[in-house]
Formats: sequence, structure tokens, C-alpha cells
Amino acid sequence: MTGATLMKKSQRSALRSILPRIAQFRRQFYYFKQSPLALAGLFITSFFVFLAIFSPWMTTGNPYELHSIRRLLNSFIPWFQTWKYPLGTTYFGIDLLPAIIKAARIDLAISLAVVGAGATIGILLGAFAGYKGGIVDDILMRVTDIFFSIPFIVLAIAMIVVFRQDFAHVAGGVMTLLVMSLVIIWWPTYARLVRGQVLSVRELKYVEAAKASGARTLRIIFRHIIPNSIYPVFVQMSLDVGSVVLLLAALDYINIGINFIYLPEWGNLATYFQYTGVGITGALQEPWTFVVPGLAILMYSLGLNLLGDGLRDILDPRMRR
Amino acid sequence: MKMTTYIIRRLLLLIPVVLGVTAFTFALTRANIAVWIRSMVPGHTSSSQLLKQEQKIIAIYHLHSPVYIQYFYYMKGLLLGDWGTTTSTDFLVANRPVFQVMQERLPNTIELAIASIILVVIMSIPLGVISAVRRDKLPDHASRLWAMISYSTPTFWLGLLVLFFVTPIVPITSITGSIGLQYYFTANGSFEPWVVHQGTTILSTRPTGFLLLDTLIYGDMPAFINGLEHIALPALTVALTSMGAIVRFLRSSMLDAMGQDYVRTARAKGLPQKRVINRHVKRNAYSATVTILGLLLASLMGGVVITEAIFFWPGIGYWLAEAAIVNDFASIMASVFVFAIIIVTANLIVDIVYAYLDPRVRLG
Repeated sequence: MTGATLMKKSQRSALRSILPRIAQFRRQFYYFKQSPLALAGLFITSFFVFLAIFSPWMTTGNPYELHSIRRLLNSFIPWFQTWKYPLGTTYFGIDLLPAIIKAARIDLAISLAVVGAGATIGILLGAFAGYKGGIVDDILMRVTDIFFSIPFIVLAIAMIVVFRQDFAHVAGGVMTLLVMSLVIIWWPTYARLVRGQVLSVRELKYVEAAKASGARTLRIIFRHIIPNSIYPVFVQMSLDVGSVVLLLAALDYINIGINFIYLPEWGNLATYFQYTGVGITGALQEPWTFVVPGLAILMYSLGLNLLGDGLRDILDPRMRR
Repeated sequence: MKMTTYIIRRLLLLIPVVLGVTAFTFALTRANIAVWIRSMVPGHTSSSQLLKQEQKIIAIYHLHSPVYIQYFYYMKGLLLGDWGTTTSTDFLVANRPVFQVMQERLPNTIELAIASIILVVIMSIPLGVISAVRRDKLPDHASRLWAMISYSTPTFWLGLLVLFFVTPIVPITSITGSIGLQYYFTANGSFEPWVVHQGTTILSTRPTGFLLLDTLIYGDMPAFINGLEHIALPALTVALTSMGAIVRFLRSSMLDAMGQDYVRTARAKGLPQKRVINRHVKRNAYSATVTILGLLLASLMGGVVITEAIFFWPGIGYWLAEAAIVNDFASIMASVFVFAIIIVTANLIVDIVYAYLDPRVRLG
């Protein structure tokens, strides 16, 4: 008696449906391995995820501790001073290395929250509009047109300025407001992406078959349409997780992001010179205070972009020539 | 479909978008009406004065009327150029009509955007072409990596880095702003970057509004060169952070074109590689890339906002960044509206150009 016959019928069918997927996954991973850039992206992203998960146990330094005597220790290599603060200290004597390590968790959490919520809203609306078509579809497309005709950062500024007073005195209010406004900005991207996919998927035979066998609209959307149009969404999500941090840092720079509170977040660290009264000229005298956190943003975003690009290549066979 | 029909249809499609944007800005100001009213009252007003001021504002904006009537007055003001008054503290914009400030600032922003687009095109075309021609070789990987880095660089960080490397060589005042302070016209209490003047009388304040264009038209070469020096670094910053998308798109559309039958035919005829690329591939890849220029503009404008704030470029972005700090609602909503108009118009132009280049678009 072989192992397969010992299994229950349901297990056998599950195995049968999983085997081709494993084969496909191995084939895709083979192509992924062929691209050095994609591998580099995977490596960088894993590094940051590792940082985010293990940051509490990685450093003994406290990002909230102020080393007031050693304010602005210079750490650029030619003037390197001490191993005690390898990356130097920033304004008010914050040790940069533990601050940057701690920031990984906060930044990853913010970007995942924004992209996760944005993608969920976008997928639901896009799938519904794409499947229904007609007036629902038209309205959704015009709404996304409006969002795409305003630069993301301008939209974010407008929304944050209007609502920030309502959130100012709530615990964690600033963060909630930032995440909410970024979600409002980000969902149209996904709605459009999914809608485009759905338009092609809904004409396929298996959707017709499901319709003919009397499945309800919601079942068709959730069981047949969304699972088959979701791959580009994953690619877009991996690209956007990087972009969210970029936009957040830009908002920090013009003083309406996480402002006037100190939080170990890369954008906040890089732009903190604004609240110290030294201004841009002061920051240029002490360049490591913005260069090092900015470099962290660059690497994080670069890793996710490379990964997303690699994913696009393997998930979209047309690109794989 | 004829070209005119296509343009008319395209224009009609614009109306809901523009109306939607105005509805959006209208809704944002009315969403938090107390904050909005308070932002229009000077900070040092006494409480008895405050009430009077609030009553006046309520009367001006018809806040007692139903929402659709308020929207009607809002649209009326928007169309007649009555965009409210700024409440910023910056002496250049303080208590001036928003529409007037916008007329000053808009040309500067457009100038910076155009300079950036020119730089983007100059820098990304060779990278995209090399990347496609030497596919999966070292140049391809290098240029793709470069595109990715450009994609993921924080704009403000790059701007600060540029300043960091340049300020030891030249003083910071000679690279920030739109023109050197020595070209400012300061007689009679005015503070104009550059005007056509005779002695202390202004003949014409900025004939076109575009500084580089004006100085060139009136043959003021030193001012023109000074203006070029001032625009170079901001434009470079914007271009470096937004060229990635174009490089990537150009590469994939080059690869698309290279896989076409007519390219194989050209190769089979025995044409040399260089001629095939130049005559058959590039031309088709470029016209496809025109479409993405319009899409890129939104993200490029986002970069422009931040770059203006770093280089003190007197455009909408710098104004917006300052307005955001002091809750200057009128300025913020005006810039949202104007940015939307810029992008929508640019997209319209791109679509029309593309339809002209490629008849399949207007026929399909």
C-alpha cells in the first residue's frame, strides 16, 4: 500500500491541487534566482524585516536617552571619534545607531498598515466596480481620476492640515491621522489596478461557468475574480511599502508629519534639525545627522523596489523574455 | 474618429475631473469649519472682536446657506479669480489675494518643472537605450539599479546632500531662490526678483512671468545666466529623483519594439545593428514613452514641492509648505486646485500629441 492510498479523499484532492503550485513556485524561484538585482532586493528587505523583528534585543542603547554632554558627536570617518557612538549622535545628543535600529520596526509598521489598508479598500472597490461595470465603474474611475490628478504629497498636506487639530490631543493621534490620510491617498492605485485585471478575468470561461451554475455575485467576486487578479497587487504592494516611507519623510521635512515630538522614525530623525533652530545651514555643518537616517530610508526603499521588480518579472511571464 | 472629435471628447472627459477637484477642496475647507474660520482671524484678536470677525466671515462665505448654495458661491469666486486672502506670516505673501500670489508663483513652478523634464529626458534616454540593447549584461544591470536608486531616494535628502557638496564652493545665497539678490528690484518699497525698469520706475513687471524667458527676451544676459545657475541644482534634484520611471519604461518599450516583426525583417535584410536600433526601434519606443511623461508629471510635481522648499524656490511648492504650517487654508486649497489643473492639462496635451503620432489611439 502506498502512502497516497492511505490518505483520505479530501487530503488527496488537496495534495493534487497543491502539487502544480509547488512546481510553479519552484519554476518562478528559478527565474528569481537568475536576477542578481532581485536577489539583492530580497536580501536587503529581509535584513530590514530582521531588524524590525529583533530590534528590541539588538541594541543596548536607548534611542530616547539624551547624551547631553556629547551633543553632536561627529562620526563621519575622517573625524571619527569614538566607537561608543559609531554613527554619531544627533540633536539633543540622541545616539543615532539605536535610534535607527528601533526606527525599522516603526517604519515597517506604518508602511504595512498604510499599504495593507489601502490595498484592501482598493481590491474590494476595484473588483466590485470592474465586475459590475456600468455606472458604478464610471463613477469609481472618475473618482480615481481626481486622486491621480493631484500630487500625493499635496493631497496629504491638504488633508493633514484640515484634520490635524482634531487629532492633536489624542494619544497617538498624529500617527493615526498620518496613516489615515496616506490610506486615502493610496487606495485609488489599487482600485485601478484590480479593476483592470478584473475586466479581463471576468470574461474567462470559469467565471461564466460559475455564473451558469447559479453562484451569487459576492461568491464569484471573492472566490473567482479576486484570487485570479491579485498577483499584480502583490507587486504593487511591495513597491509601495517603500514609497510610503519616502512620502512620510517628505511630510516630516515640511513639518507636518510626525512633528514636534521625537520619535525614532527615519524621516523624523533625518529632519529633526528643523526643530532645533539651526536651520538648513546648521544641518549642513553636521551632515551625518541627516545623511545616516536618509541612507536608511534609501536602502529600505531600494530593497523593496528591487524585490518588487523581481516579483513583477517572475509573476508576469510577458516580461520574461 | 477625426482629430477634432477626439479632442472634443477628451475635453468633455476633463469636466467631471475638474469639478471633482473643486468639490474636494470645497469639502475639505467645510469639513472642519471651526479651524478654517479661526485660521482667518488674526491671532491677537480680543474675544469681543473675535465674534464680530467670525460673523463677518460667516456672511462673506454664506455659511448660513445650504451646502449647494455655498458651493455655487465657491465656484463663482473660483471662476472670477476671487480665491480669498492668504493668512501666512511671510512678508512676501502676507495678507495678499491668493489669486495674485498664484500669478507670481505659478510661472516659477512651471519653469522648474519644465527644466526638470528636460533634464530627465536628456539623462534617461541613453540609460534606457543602453539597458535594452545590452540586455541582461552589466550595463543593463547597472542602469536598472540606477533607476531603482533614483526611484527610492528621498527628495529632501538628495537636495540637502546637493547643498552639502556645493555650499563649500559657493555661498548658499547664490544657489537658492530663483535669481541672485543683486538682480532684485527694491526701489520704491517693492521687492521684485527681476523687472524691466528704467531707473526707479518699473516699465513692466515680468512680461511673461517666466524669469528665464523674460531675461532672454529683454536681452539681460547676466541675469539670464544667473537665473540658469539658480535653476540648475533644483532641477537636477528633481530630475535625479524622478528619472527612474522613464528609464524603466523606455527599456521595456525598447524591448517591446525589438521583438516586433519589422525589426526582424530589418535584421534579415542585413541592416547593421546600429541602424536597426536608430531607425526602427527607437522611434517607436519614444512615441510610447511620451504617454508616460504625462503620468510621471504627478510624481515629478511632488518632487518639485519638496525641492522648492529646500532651495527656497519662489514657487507654489515653497508657498504650500509655508502655508501648511500656519493653517493657511486659502493658499493650500488654491495650490491643490492649480496642481490638479497643471497635471490635467499636461495629460491632455500628451494625449493629443500621442493621438496625433499614433492614429490607432484616436480610431480605437
